[in-house]
Amino acid sequence: MPSKSAYLNILNTALSTGGDYAEIYIEEKISQAVSIENGKVDASTVGKTYGAGIRILQGVNSVYGYTNEVTTKGLLKLAKSLSNSFNGKQVLMVESLKTKHIKNNHKILEPLSEVSSEDKINYIRPAEKVMHKYDKRIVRTKSGFMNSKSVITIVNSNGFIIHDEKERGRVILSCIASDGEKYESAFEGPGAMSGFEHFKNNVDIVKLANDAAKAAISMLSAKDCPSGKMTVVIGNGNGGVIFHEACGHSLEATSVSKNLSVFSQKLGTQIASPVVSAVDDGTITNAWGSNNIDDEGNKTERTVLIENGILKNYLVDIVGGRRMNMRPTGCGRRESYKYEPTSRMSNTYICNGKSTPEEIIKATKLGLYAKTLSGGSVNPATGEFNFGCSEAYIIRDGKICEPVRGASLIGTGGEVLMNIDMVGNDCERSNGMCGSVSGFIPVDIGQPTIRVQNILVGGNGGELK
Amino acid sequence: MRFNTKKFYELAKSRGFEAADLVISQGHSLSASVYHGEIESYSEENTIDATARGIINGKLGACVTEKFDSDTVNFMIDSIEKTARVIETTDPVIIFKGSEKYRRGNYYDKSLFEIPFEEKKKILFEIEKKLFAYDKRINEVASVSYSESCSEETLTNSYGLKLKIKKSDFSIVAQITVKEKGEIRSDYEVFAGNNLKEFDVDAFVKSLADKTLKKLGGTQCESKKYPVILNPECSATLLRAFLSSTNAEDVQKNSSLFIGKLGQQIASKKLTVTENPLAKNIFFNYFDDEGVAITKKDIVKKGVLQTYLYTLETAAKDGVEPTGNGYRGAGKASAGLGYIIVKPGRKSEKELVSSIKEGVYITDLEGLHAGMNARSGNFSLQAQGFMIRDGKFSEPLALITVSGNLVEMFNNIKDVGSNAKFLVQGRASCPSFSIKKLFISGK
Repeated sequence: MPSKSAYLNILNTALSTGGDYAEIYIEEKISQAVSIENGKVDASTVGKTYGAGIRILQGVNSVYGYTNEVTTKGLLKLAKSLSNSFNGKQVLMVESLKTKHIKNNHKILEPLSEVSSEDKINYIRPAEKVMHKYDKRIVRTKSGFMNSKSVITIVNSNGFIIHDEKERGRVILSCIASDGEKYESAFEGPGAMSGFEHFKNNVDIVKLANDAAKAAISMLSAKDCPSGKMTVVIGNGNGGVIFHEACGHSLEATSVSKNLSVFSQKLGTQIASPVVSAVDDGTITNAWGSNNIDDEGNKTERTVLIENGILKNYLVDIVGGRRMNMRPTGCGRRESYKYEPTSRMSNTYICNGKSTPEEIIKATKLGLYAKTLSGGSVNPATGEFNFGCSEAYIIRDGKICEPVRGASLIGTGGEVLMNIDMVGNDCERSNGMCGSVSGFIPVDIGQPTIRVQNILVGGNGGELK
Repeated sequence: MRFNTKKFYELAKSRGFEAADLVISQGHSLSASVYHGEIESYSEENTIDATARGIINGKLGACVTEKFDSDTVNFMIDSIEKTARVIETTDPVIIFKGSEKYRRGNYYDKSLFEIPFEEKKKILFEIEKKLFAYDKRINEVASVSYSESCSEETLTNSYGLKLKIKKSDFSIVAQITVKEKGEIRSDYEVFAGNNLKEFDVDAFVKSLADKTLKKLGGTQCESKKYPVILNPECSATLLRAFLSSTNAEDVQKNSSLFIGKLGQQIASKKLTVTENPLAKNIFFNYFDDEGVAITKKDIVKKGVLQTYLYTLETAAKDGVEPTGNGYRGAGKASAGLGYIIVKPGRKSEKELVSSIKEGVYITDLEGLHAGMNARSGNFSLQAQGFMIRDGKFSEPLALITVSGNLVEMFNNIKDVGSNAKFLVQGRASCPSFSIKKLFISGK
């Protein structure tokens, strides 16, 4: 690792052709993974990520480069080469660097990087067994434990050297059910930015394993989902992917700042039904999508995005902030040093409303109950989104009835937000990975049970009767 | 710092490894993107990583690293030992001695890097300018980007096998939005190759602009079953999802649609698919990640399944030869499909369309990771396209879904078009498929 004076030299070299901001991002990460398939440990790996990225900004234009040669020589060479993209005179000189100490808000008692593979295997094995023994039709099970520890150093032309350390872990439980002809699979993946104690004390993985096996078996006997416009009740927790896709991505500065989002220039206007409030909060203690600081060195924040249907704020990174003339909100994130940071979500959820989930189901005469969603995608320019439902049921006369498979939900972000007419009081968060321009990053999605009128449901089962 | 391969194998031997292998990958790439007449971003990448595996007491351990210093070899050997120790499965573990013959080669053209980067930036400015000038309904060119890379991969193992491949390529991607009467549509276009002379700016601009503009006025059709034509992109997407069931591991572990289907009819007689990663294009490769020689082979011939895709491990289990389809991240390999060629039919796409009185032509499928359950074959996907009325393209369709089952769909191929197209994202050469019926939801 370079010394303080070497960092100064690298930054000033980067700024030598007129850049007005420069930043060095150094990452060393150890990743461990172990998995069990059909009851036996079948794979185990260790990986080390090590590299550095340098970014130079001039106004809203940026140059970015990265290398595995994290030495003064390697970084100077990269800084020099990147600075060739601009051809001005030096406008900023960094005189000194001050080390900034970041307080760790996420207490860890038993760091996962120090827990043996054997202990992790012993932890997941009972859950693996539960899935395996749940039903003869469970033909394949796979479980795993993966964790990583990252040590980050950010040095920037604001004169700071910032150090941060973070550890995350995630359990994967998956199973496949088959009756010899059809196949259905189910998945659970609880994760957190915490130590082994969290998994042992707060995560009921045997219950999750049971839920996964139950869902896969239940879907095996499901009929094809009917299609057409319907009233859809979306389950709490993982159902929050709908807000993440349908709205969250379109509130990121990446698309908003270039007028590429349906929500560009809509601050202060009503974009959702008045029963909807939503938040992105990167500060939640020990949450999977949290961080002490973002990957641009700014403290993470709790950002109110929508309050009673009114658009309150966007997710803004440094470059997006320059383009939009807005303050960055501590959301500049990246998968690794191989990516230039950009505005991203952290833990994003719809806030609790007043109805109980039972009231919502009871108030629905005919519709779809999308209990678990399996992910989706959105085109921020048009707001058009899609989600798959991995577990869904038909609601008849206020009761959850027969399971249906192969349902997908289609719509536009603007429309769906306005069409939410009931919001439950059972908000839960669920853990996932979000992929976008700056790579795959851990995020929480979340919501209470909600009801949406008039969503287009795609399925192979004809009209809903 | 260079990686000390010799030291790695010596230490592996002295620690009692039965065998070991090592893949060193190096890459260098440059990219730039343009926004509103300025270079909005430029990036430069230099990477190297080493992936190693070792067999100890019949168990496989694995490690990957990007950190190269005096401790690297020790770290890797220790990690391999530690990871191998916990393995319980008794599946065969093999590090490969080598195939009899390799069709060695590279896909590298240094002239790409001799063209000054400034010239390449000029192409981007030209694309952006021409897109804005093409039609006033093009209201935004979200980005136009160029990237080029050169990579080298060396696989060695303790049996003395040494395989090396060098590749170069570039890609150009542009994304636009078009707007008319408050309606916004967007699309993007990708071009990839390794000879910049093959890139035609005007054709690229025209293709992107036309296909995006045509989407304006999108409506939803009535929900019902229609005869459907999938454009080459969508055909390849669904075909790759269908063929993912050829993975032998899934067959052996009771979770594939193709259990017991070897030599059986799995699709319409019109479908013939050949895998040929030896074809000289950006997907070229002559050895898989386990060191097995890659050959050209039929996967589906006139609808009959010709082979499963094997790794060393799954091939040993079935007592067959590995097929050169091993892909690996860090540890165990799993089977995957390389570049495929779908045999074109005789009818042009126009002829396929003209035979349909009322149907749907699909140009875009979204959300594959959510709406496609390749294991069961069920899919329900967001789509865009056009109505076909009286044998002709009619109004554009947006926000519709197409749903069905892959097995049924591939058995219901009415015709395969003659319009084979090289597809960067589909990793295929594929024409349009005409399907007898698929369910479309709209209104």
